[in-house]
Amino acid sequence: MTDAELTALVGFRFPGGRYTVAHWENFLLTDCTGAGQLPGGVVHPIALFHVPILGARTSIAELFALFDAKGPGSVSLLGYDWEYVRPLLEDTEYRCEGGILSAERSAADNGGMSDIVSFQIELRDDDDRVVARITNRWRFNRAAS
Amino acid sequence: MTTAAVAVGERIPAWTMEFVDPARMKTMAAILRDPYSVHWDRAGNERLGIGPRVINQGPLNVGYIANMLIAWAGPTSIRRLVLAFARPVLDGDSVTAGGVVTAIHRADGIDGETLATCDVWLDRAGERVVTGTAVVCLTMPSTTTDRPTPADGGEGDSPA
Repeated sequence: MTDAELTALVGFRFPGGRYTVAHWENFLLTDCTGAGQLPGGVVHPIALFHVPILGARTSIAELFALFDAKGPGSVSLLGYDWEYVRPLLEDTEYRCEGGILSAERSAADNGGMSDIVSFQIELRDDDDRVVARITNRWRFNRAAS
Repeated sequence: MTTAAVAVGERIPAWTMEFVDPARMKTMAAILRDPYSVHWDRAGNERLGIGPRVINQGPLNVGYIANMLIAWAGPTSIRRLVLAFARPVLDGDSVTAGGVVTAIHRADGIDGETLATCDVWLDRAGERVVTGTAVVCLTMPSTTTDRPTPADGGEGDSPA
C-alpha cells in the first residue's frame, strides 16, 4: 500500500446498517468476560467492539483487507475511546454509521513502517438519539523491505 | 454505593480474572467474527515465533475493567472508556483490574448525573498491560426513565 493509497482511505465511509444484539449473543459475550449476567437486558459494555463494526456492515476481515494487513501478527491494537450515551439493550435495533478518521504512516523499530489508523462509528436508536460512539486505533505493521 | 460515599483518591475494588481461558477466546472469536488466528491457533502462533500461547482479544481485557466498574457503580454506570493496550494478555494469565477516582463532577447538559473520572488499569504479575481513563456515573438522573433502576435490579447490583 502506497502513501497515497493510505491517505486516500481517510474519509472512507462504511456502508452502514442496523444491528440487534440477541439475548444468546449477550449471554455468551458476558460469560466470556467472567462476569454474571447483567439485569434488565443490559448488553455488556464490550459489545461496543463488534456491534458497531458488524452493524456498519463491515467486519474485522474487511478492515484488515482495506488496510492490506499481511496476516497474523501484522496488526496491533492500540486503543479504544468508547462513549456510552444510553444503555445498549438486548433485542433493540441500532443504526450504525461511520468511517475511517485517520491514517498515518511512520517508521517502525524494525526498519519497516507502521500505519496507525483510526475509525469511528456511531450508534443511534429508532428516535435518532445517539446511543454510543466508538473510536478505535489499530496499527498495521509493514515488513522491512 | 452512594455519591456521598465516593471521594477523590478512592480505590475502586479490584476485579480479578484468575485464569484467562483459551476456550473463552474461541467463543469470543465466533461472536466477533474475528478470523485473526492469534486468538485461537496455538500452533500457528508458535510458527509465527510469538510463542505457544494464544492472545486474548482486546475487548476481553476491556471487559475485566468494565466488570470492575460495574461491580462498583452498577450495570449502566459506564459513560466513557479511553484505553491503551501496552502488552498482550495470553491464555493462562491471571490479570487484575484496578482503578482510582481522580475527579468528581457534574455532567454538562445531563440533569442530575454526578460523574467520577477514574484512572483504570489491568495488571499481570505487577506489569501494567492496559491503562486508561473511565468516566462513571455515580447517580442516575431523576428525570431519566430508560436506564435500569435499583427497583428492577439495575444500579447497585454486582455481578458474580
